[in-house]
Amino acid sequence: MDIQLSIQKLTKRYKTGDGVSDISLDVQKGELITLLGPSGCGKTTVLRSIGGFLEPDSGDILIENKSVLKAPPEKRPTAMVFQSYNLWPHMTVFDNLAFGLKIRKMKKSEIDQAISEVLKLIRLSGSEQKFPGQLSGGQQQRVAVARALLLKPAVLLLDEPFSALDAKLRHEMREELREIQSNTGLTMVFVTHDQEEALSISDRIVVMNKGHIEQVASPQEIYDEPKTLFAAQFIGKMNFLKGVVTNGRVMIAQLAFPNSKNLSGNVTLAIRPEDVQLFDGEEAGLPGTIKHIMVLGHYAEVSIDLQGHGIIRSFRPRDQVNDLRTGQHVKVNFAKTLVFPTV
Amino acid sequence: MSKQTKMGILGLLLVLPSFLVLFVIVVLPIALSFKESLTNASGGYDLSNYIYLFTNKLMRSNIIFTLEVTIISVLLILAISYALAVYMRFNNGAVVQWIRRLYMIPMFIPGVIATYGLIQLLGNHGWAARILYQFGIESFPRIIFDMKGIIIANLWFNIPFTTMLLGSALSAVPNSVIESAKDVGAGTIQIFFKFILPLTYKTLLVGATFAFMGVIGSFTAPFLLGPNAPQMLGVSMEQVFGVFQQKQLAAALAFFTFLLCSIMGFFYIREMIKDEGVKA
Ligand SMILES: Nc1ncnc2c1ncn2[C@@H]1O[C@H](COP(=O)(O)OP(=O)(O)O)[C@@H](O)[C@H]1O
Ligand SMILES: [Mg+2]
Repeated sequence: MDIQLSIQKLTKRYKTGDGVSDISLDVQKGELITLLGPSGCGKTTVLRSIGGFLEPDSGDILIENKSVLKAPPEKRPTAMVFQSYNLWPHMTVFDNLAFGLKIRKMKKSEIDQAISEVLKLIRLSGSEQKFPGQLSGGQQQRVAVARALLLKPAVLLLDEPFSALDAKLRHEMREELREIQSNTGLTMVFVTHDQEEALSISDRIVVMNKGHIEQVASPQEIYDEPKTLFAAQFIGKMNFLKGVVTNGRVMIAQLAFPNSKNLSGNVTLAIRPEDVQLFDGEEAGLPGTIKHIMVLGHYAEVSIDLQGHGIIRSFRPRDQVNDLRTGQHVKVNFAKTLVFPTV
Repeated sequence: MSKQTKMGILGLLLVLPSFLVLFVIVVLPIALSFKESLTNASGGYDLSNYIYLFTNKLMRSNIIFTLEVTIISVLLILAISYALAVYMRFNNGAVVQWIRRLYMIPMFIPGVIATYGLIQLLGNHGWAARILYQFGIESFPRIIFDMKGIIIANLWFNIPFTTMLLGSALSAVPNSVIESAKDVGAGTIQIFFKFILPLTYKTLLVGATFAFMGVIGSFTAPFLLGPNAPQMLGVSMEQVFGVFQQKQLAAALAFFTFLLCSIMGFFYIREMIKDEGVKA
């Protein structure tokens, strides 16, 4: 596979001391990669460095094997979609879309052609003469994406482009972006703090925390095998229990769990709610009491008090909770556990 | 009474006070001075005062002088203020910090004091002349008691407010608008003319209107440091009224000044409405 974008040991520190350090990342051609992390972890800093809006302190950025570090934004083969205020309010949709093409000295007939095609792609045909103020938030962001697409960038950068939209629209936009991506084969770097968004659209996810990368992997891998405690708690729902390693085995009360990383001392176990199994009777397991049963459509969330080991949540299919009730004593076991050193 | 009529009456009652104030302090005086300006020497009504305004050589030169001073001042005020505001918006560092601290100062100095200060500085034997003399430059241009003096004073009085106004308009232009323009390939000049200027020209127009009205109606500076002839309309009005005791002619002058301002106001309002139309 061709590497379209290569970030090498990128470091950028603001005067305040915040920033990112030692970011290295290779993005394949045609890949949609997501930078995911809590607000302030440095996602925008990385993205703006790629786009040329920020000058890194050190490191290099290569696009199609050429360093772009010296080039200003207008000379880089990138296009950026911002979180909001993307469109130029004093220009019609057509002029917003045509501006970059005119700069590139494209012929008028070709511009008309390209714009009508891209408007069809984003389902806004006929809106050429509207002003941004006459469009909804979602439509504006679609035009912003279209404007970036028209430039045929080597890498498309999107900084939380849908975060200002309501949940339903956000969903639709994700699907649409994914579709555009597979139609155009464009390389995209997508920034979000929303783990669900990241899981749903990405080929790969870059989990960031406090200015560095925690893990780079596919959504499934990040979900199933989070490499760090941070990745484990940031992506998806997760239970955490304290354990201790004795004789090479992770113990909670009398129960042993695999010690896949050969840790020692105090450890933290991470268990997905869907891996928390409930038994009644004599099976081995941690004793607990059901505190709460919440039916959430096709599944139910059951909270169990593990008597001194904290509260744990279990997701169960609905038909399995029919004979459970609050206050009932149960045994709890785990289909799968992850172990991390306690920090 | 239906609810609607009640609400209607309530609405009327609510706007009545402000309408009355407006009527008493704006509409009424204008109407009265208009009536006054139409009164001729024999007590009848005709346009003689206006004819005098536009045929008398001195009056005509006063009008032309006023328009010249006003137009040059307004253009300079806008150019300098806009440059300052743009500079402050898109740069940071020590220079910007200093401009930020200093540019409002003229607003806090009373007009008379500032005017005397300018006379001290730029007068025939003022500070500037004396300092230049030390460097062997003996001829100092006539600034005070000349059009230049009035224009400089107008700059001093108007730049702070206009800069503030434009500064707030410029800070309302989101960074992402400018960055996305850069992103699609626009250079500095295009960014200025295609984005910054169109997004702030309305405020530029507001600034122009304020500056125009302020300058055309100014009195202190033209009175203290303007030439004896020709005069700005404000000074001329005072003379016609106070020295020559020609109330009717003074009223005609006042009404004419009001008309000039109205023209400016008309263009201003027309632009505002035109833009609303596009957006809606
Ligand atoms: N221009 C700046 N000056 C100083 N600190 C900044 C600046 N921009 C961002 N930061 C800080 O750098 C860190 C990373 O910011 P950012 O990249 O915007 O994070 P994210 O996009 O992940 O929310 C944050 O702590 C933020 O406060
Ligand atoms: Mg951000």
